[in-house]
Amino acid sequence: MSTTEDQKIHGILAEFRNPKELTDVAKKMVNSGYSKFDTFSPFPIHGMDKAMNLKKSKLGWIVLGHGILGFSIAIAMMYFMSVIDYPLNISGKPFFNAPAWVPITFELTVLLSAFGAVFGMFFLNGLPKLHNPLFNSERFKKATDDGFFACIEADDDMFEAEKVKALFQEAGATHIEEVYE
Amino acid sequence: MSHKPTITDTLQFPADSKVPGALFGVGAVGLIATIIGYFLDADQFFFSYLVSFTFFSGIALSALIMVMLHHITKSSWGVVFRRISESFTANIWIWAIFVVPILFGIHNLYHWSHPELLEYGTEEYDKIVSGKSPFLNSTFFIIRQVIYFAIWGFLGYKLHKVSVQMDETNDWGLSALLRKVSAPGILLFAFTVAFAGFDWLMSLDPHWFSTMFGVYFFAINFQAFWPIMILIVFYLHKQGLLTNTIRQVHIYDLGAWFFAFTVFYAYIAFSQFLLIYYANLPEETLWYYHRMEGGWQYLLYGSLIFRFAVPFLVLLNREAKKNRMILGGMSALVLIIHFAEIYWIAMPTLYDHGFSFSWMDITAFLGLGGVFFGLFFRQFKQNDMIPKNDPKLEDCLSKSYHQ
Repeated sequence: MSTTEDQKIHGILAEFRNPKELTDVAKKMVNSGYSKFDTFSPFPIHGMDKAMNLKKSKLGWIVLGHGILGFSIAIAMMYFMSVIDYPLNISGKPFFNAPAWVPITFELTVLLSAFGAVFGMFFLNGLPKLHNPLFNSERFKKATDDGFFACIEADDDMFEAEKVKALFQEAGATHIEEVYE
Repeated sequence: MSHKPTITDTLQFPADSKVPGALFGVGAVGLIATIIGYFLDADQFFFSYLVSFTFFSGIALSALIMVMLHHITKSSWGVVFRRISESFTANIWIWAIFVVPILFGIHNLYHWSHPELLEYGTEEYDKIVSGKSPFLNSTFFIIRQVIYFAIWGFLGYKLHKVSVQMDETNDWGLSALLRKVSAPGILLFAFTVAFAGFDWLMSLDPHWFSTMFGVYFFAINFQAFWPIMILIVFYLHKQGLLTNTIRQVHIYDLGAWFFAFTVFYAYIAFSQFLLIYYANLPEETLWYYHRMEGGWQYLLYGSLIFRFAVPFLVLLNREAKKNRMILGGMSALVLIIHFAEIYWIAMPTLYDHGFSFSWMDITAFLGLGGVFFGLFFRQFKQNDMIPKNDPKLEDCLSKSYHQ
């Protein structure tokens, strides 16, 4: 890995031994006032959201919005087709045939809710993202295997390389490195 | 990483509690009043009795399937609630005696039980009922009731007994036995509950049939089971029992089940209606026709609104499932409408011209309900309120919210 001094620094990456240490350092970063940081682990860690002081996801509201949209589209579509544009008498039932419309209304509500959930998740996670500067670190590949990493980004207002390193050192990091963009 | 959670609450329901006695008192008064009603109007008596009998049997049966599912999936989420369910199931073999009045009232309740319908060539001859007579005849009906209660009674008694045994012996090997009982138990349960639904409610109108009725019967009962569970837990907490053991995070799970089976109920009940509505075959629509006129339609619309729409929209939000006021309110609402729905299924057979409500409906409900919950609390106070040596208990106690 080549690191040249004139490259822009992305952040400081530290490796920890286990989920417990990672959770502890997350709390520490929050308490020290950092806001632009993230943690990386091979599997979800219970209690990490709380330790990182993450707000509740807005995804639910996105899904609800899409669900209501799907519901309205379904009703509007069928109303236009069966009542306005091409009314057909089917076994004497009313044109506005509410019970018969339920399955399609349900399907469209669920379909758009699912779209909202999937694409809303992409949007909130900033996906698709083709490259992350952290991939420049050879060591970071362990995050998909047995590595537990924390990173404080240089964009953070409080970012000072020496202080961040000291914080990680104190928290018991086994390996600390600067990552460049 | 995490320390072993310990139970700080007392596990014993107060032995000097007057609750079972009071409930049995209510039950006795209610039943005696209802029996007086028998001499005034026998038809009304049997229909009122059948509605309440179905209501409470449904709770016990739902408790049974909940326990078996819990064992077979090796779940940990609900270990703290399992003894409550088990205390319902342990009484099913006693509860079996309450099916006897229905057998006595078979001619009042079930039109198909009249033998003259089968006599070819007479004026009363009914071709449809005649065709169904190999299944719908009094002898086989009685045999079926015996089979149902033998199966449910055995499963319920066994599951409770082994679980209590594990409290005393701390033998985790018993959980394998519980799974062995549960696996075939679930299969038997599926058949017997579907057929009980056909027998008790669907055959009230012997000309009508719905292949979905078994599932529908299960769906209404299982949805109404979660409100019962929630209200019992709230009651225990109000008495200061298990307040540190059953925590908010556990109650949230009950709310989630409640929500899930609200949707399931709506799906099943609506599917049954939609197919019949759309096909528009007279032999099928007539059942709904009688139940959508003369005031009965309000119970149907009531089910749609208060059993599905309102609980669905209210419980959709996660915070609502953590709120005791909301959860308790929805539970009470759904229990009321559950009774109304069974009433709506059964009663139009007797009153096909219009809505009718009798004082016997109330006394039968109080009578059977008093006995049912009296039996429950009598059983519940005999053992610890949670299975204290269950292998999954520790998991359950250290549960936390997923974000």
